[in-house]
Amino acid sequence: MFETVRQAMAWVHTGFGLVLGYVLMVVFFFGTLSVFDREIDRWAVPETRFAVQPMPSFDRVLAPVYQRLRPDPADLERVARRVAGELPDAASLPLVSLFAYTTHRDPVLLVGAEFGVPNAPLNPADDHLHVHGRAQVDPRSGTFLPDNRLQIGTDFFYPMHYSLHTSPAIIGYWVVGLAAMSMLAALVTGLVIHRRLLRELFTFRPHKRSQRSTLDLHNLTGVVALPFHFFFALTGLLIFAAIYLPVHDSLLRPLDRQHDVLEAARTGLPHEPAGVPAPLASVDAMVAQAQARWAQRGIPGEVGFLTIEHVGDRNGYVSVFRAGSDRVALVGEGIHFSASTGEILYEDPAPSAVHAVSEFLTGLHLQHFRHWLLRWLYVLGGLVGCVCIATGFIFFTEKRKRQWVHQAPRSLRWVDALAVTAVTGMVLAVLGMLVANRLLPAELPARAAWEERAFWCTWLCALLHAYVRSAALLRGAVSPAWREQCIGIAALAVLAVTLNWVTTGDHLWHTVTTGYWPVAGVDASLLAVAVIAFTAAVRLYGRGAEATSTAVEPVEMSRG
Amino acid sequence: MADVAWWWIAALGSFSGAVWLALAKPVHWAQVMSARAARGHPAPVLRCLGWLALAAALAACLRADAPTMAVLVWVMLLVPAALAVAMVLAWRPAILRCWGAAVCLRPGSSRR
Repeated sequence: MFETVRQAMAWVHTGFGLVLGYVLMVVFFFGTLSVFDREIDRWAVPETRFAVQPMPSFDRVLAPVYQRLRPDPADLERVARRVAGELPDAASLPLVSLFAYTTHRDPVLLVGAEFGVPNAPLNPADDHLHVHGRAQVDPRSGTFLPDNRLQIGTDFFYPMHYSLHTSPAIIGYWVVGLAAMSMLAALVTGLVIHRRLLRELFTFRPHKRSQRSTLDLHNLTGVVALPFHFFFALTGLLIFAAIYLPVHDSLLRPLDRQHDVLEAARTGLPHEPAGVPAPLASVDAMVAQAQARWAQRGIPGEVGFLTIEHVGDRNGYVSVFRAGSDRVALVGEGIHFSASTGEILYEDPAPSAVHAVSEFLTGLHLQHFRHWLLRWLYVLGGLVGCVCIATGFIFFTEKRKRQWVHQAPRSLRWVDALAVTAVTGMVLAVLGMLVANRLLPAELPARAAWEERAFWCTWLCALLHAYVRSAALLRGAVSPAWREQCIGIAALAVLAVTLNWVTTGDHLWHTVTTGYWPVAGVDASLLAVAVIAFTAAVRLYGRGAEATSTAVEPVEMSRG
Repeated sequence: MADVAWWWIAALGSFSGAVWLALAKPVHWAQVMSARAARGHPAPVLRCLGWLALAAALAACLRADAPTMAVLVWVMLLVPAALAVAMVLAWRPAILRCWGAAVCLRPGSSRR
């Protein structure tokens, strides 16, 4: 089929790159935004613009919160389809386990719980029958955040990064996983086909014709961040390994369940409830004891994660985990207490070598550490990845443009329109969502849903606009959609910053002088995007005026 | 904020390392250095210096953070360093002349 290895590699690289490149672009871009997901949340939910809070007192603040927590209606519906008979009233479902999670960047606390279901499952093998409930809590008062608030960073951009918001989410997980796999393949095949890559490592010739400079930029951005690209694709796959290879829930299910039972026997943490009610001892005392233990071991720290299993049962136990703000690995050093007596049942030993490596790999991807420099470097890595993918597309279309103009004009237009949509369109969609977030009335019941609609509608409009304007391609010109969407980006970014000022009073000068960096950072980044997009548009107009048939490289735009 | 100082040193180290590794390639050496200096191209010295500077950057990262974190910072600092070198080479290669001159000033390495 292919005469040389390089030809075969080139086929893999272009084929997979073109099909899954669009997905990768989304994954990279929203992954980049997710580096600052909490900060975007603060921008989008002004009620939460207050100082970062540690894990609050369980006895005083959280205990009443869990009493008021209710099952999620959507999850209730899903579970109702899995059981025999009608589910009882949601408010009467008993709390069987609960958790609270916070990081060094969270003013609000994420709480969640599993509620037991008395009904028998339709499928006897269905042994994990719970209804979930979760909420965001103001840890200072214990009040819930209003339902209609969407934390755009953690609840929309971050899930977009790994699930594409497909329904059911599992489809998105698989598509993203496939894209990550093909990315690993693209990195290897890319090294083979661009054989002068390492010799021309630092080469970028912006003054040469656009195909050459596009390819230079593609190679440059691919190679300088090669470790980043490789490790993030790999660790992304590792984090979801249990979804891609669900042996623990299929082939090895009996073994997995048996492992849980044996593990419980080994650690002394009860696997099953005793069925005997028991009161809850002071959790604050347990937390104080755990913190004293960590300090004793030379690793004083805050509580990052707190769980209670078998709530209200004699076999119940409380697990307190230390936040991993000062290292790559996430929460750890768990200390487990009997819920009814408060005595220590088990203390997690130091992780084994394999476990430590696994924690390092997942931790470097999920980044809950306190290291602002590394966070910004991740943003750079992500944007460099976006440039790499975008230049790949542009090189692909540029190379085929002359041929396709006659043979497949419609395909040419669609490929270009999709490229515009995946680069500038995506930035527009994000900005459209932020603008909607500031414009929609606070009391609107389905406010979150409207914000999501604004996102998808803006993106769809960007696609239509890109296709309609792509007719210019057939005359050998660059699609004017690139520069027009750049102008749109600049306008919407400035509008978002202005709306934030008008609706909340937190203008950039105020947030900078008071040192409120989450909102100041988002505003400043928006303005930077506006400047970059405007500059790119001006340059594109300049080149458009030259009316040459050589195309320009619209790569600067993807840096938004 | 001693950490910040070490990060600056690490950033400077990775940038210098990238510059010297780029200058070790004849194309970039000719691009940066004047015609007279371009004749003698001390590629091995440059390569050596480049790797030394990157090692120094790693050492600085290790002073600022725990080893696991430091390795990540070091690898990620290479991204802006290499990008910056490529961009400077594309638009203002003369800026990098002092890095090349530093090598030429060494006795013996400038073969006239």
